[in-house]
Amino acid sequence: MTPTALIVGLAGLLVGVVVGAALTRQAAGRRSPLAAAADRPLAAPERDAGDTTRRLDELVQALERAERDAKAARAELAGAQADAVNTAKMAALGQLVAGVAHEINTPMGALNSNHDTIRRALDKLQVILEDERVDPDELEDVRRIVKAIAGVQDTNAMAVERMGHIVKSLRTFGRPDRSEVGPLDLREAIESTFTILGHELRGRIRVEREYGDLPPVECYPNRLNQVFMNLLMNSCQAIREKGTIGVRTALSDDGGHAVIEMRDSGVGMTPDVLERIFEPGFTTKGSRVGMGMGLLITRQIVEQHSGSIAVESAPGQGTSFTIVLPLLLSVAEEHAKR
Amino acid sequence: MHDPRPKSVLVVDDEPMVTTSLRSFLELETPYRVVTFSNPLEALAHDLDSDNVYVVISDFMMPQMDGISFLREVRVRRPQATRILLTGYADKENAIRAINEAGLYYYLEKPWDNEHLKLIIRNSVERSSLFLELDARLSALEGANEELLDLRRRLFQAFL
Repeated sequence: MTPTALIVGLAGLLVGVVVGAALTRQAAGRRSPLAAAADRPLAAPERDAGDTTRRLDELVQALERAERDAKAARAELAGAQADAVNTAKMAALGQLVAGVAHEINTPMGALNSNHDTIRRALDKLQVILEDERVDPDELEDVRRIVKAIAGVQDTNAMAVERMGHIVKSLRTFGRPDRSEVGPLDLREAIESTFTILGHELRGRIRVEREYGDLPPVECYPNRLNQVFMNLLMNSCQAIREKGTIGVRTALSDDGGHAVIEMRDSGVGMTPDVLERIFEPGFTTKGSRVGMGMGLLITRQIVEQHSGSIAVESAPGQGTSFTIVLPLLLSVAEEHAKR
Repeated sequence: MHDPRPKSVLVVDDEPMVTTSLRSFLELETPYRVVTFSNPLEALAHDLDSDNVYVVISDFMMPQMDGISFLREVRVRRPQATRILLTGYADKENAIRAINEAGLYYYLEKPWDNEHLKLIIRNSVERSSLFLELDARLSALEGANEELLDLRRRLFQAFL
């Protein structure tokens, strides 16, 4: 995890440098030719018409050049921003993979041990059965061995079920059909996120769930899952020792929207931090944890769905995010067009 | 001097998957009695001495109490028992804490290797046996010393 964090950090630094350079160049390129042309007096009354036309041509050319420069700088900037978003996504993915690896470790450990136990048990049984006569005291051993095998089998079933659950959660979470619109069951999506975050929660954070009775939301499931992951991961990090995360979903009063509330009992934010949380590159976690893109991306995704996101927080009082999403994306898009 | 009660291995992990796996393996492969708990507080409510606990194996991350705090408490209650941390969270900071605060004998990572675990438990039992025997010998020695002192006192009284 540490080398990954380092690479992500370096990539972030690089993106910053590129953006900075682009901005500087853009400012310098736009300023000088225009300023030079404009500094000279235009069409003084004693000059002839040809002179004025030449001066105007010069100005138009300078303007055109400035526009080209601005366009190039804007393209560069857009590219750099896309890179920054991608880097943030990779960082989130790295975190997620580490979490899943941890979640799988427990059932893996059990299966690993049990596999060995069964082999040993079978070896013992074989030795007993070799002389074709089973003494009464050996019979006691056989019973003990069979009991061990039976116990191990039950545990294996548990381990396999747990692994299946994790894989299913991952599938819900990382749908390959990235850009496709589909129905998303909010409860299922949020629960999958909790499964993947299991190692962050266990032993530390209590989860209070209150899922309302509401239909699936038409959306880009992959992107909304990222929203839940971002918010819940932030909550986990905001809770320093032990605490609570609360999740509530409900149908809006007008019946056309889903309301999702995610709150935590973490450290909370001061008003000046709260004001800046959606700014690109703003982070309170230090460069090792993130690069300050999480909430920006979160808001962008919510807005892509014509939804809204609101936040309430105070130091020591925890933080609460409320997201309102239209149930039907087509309606949302109609709405956005108008 | 020999204690006729079976030696016990105490296992604490909030994942029943882990405790049952360890129980099955240890019951098959070792002569020790296996006592398991999924909650460290319940394990502490148990009398470690009357259970004749030689080895305590604990998970690290548990909802009620972390493994280091638990083993630290075990150290106070039955210092002769050897303490092992079995954890999926391998980080240096906690390993150091565990060694310093809980007097850890072994820091084991999940997934574990059964043969390795068996060896560690055998060594742990031996270690605890030595501690317990030393304890017994020391108290026997103290008793003998008391007797000698008493004898000397009576000797003085008889002759003076």
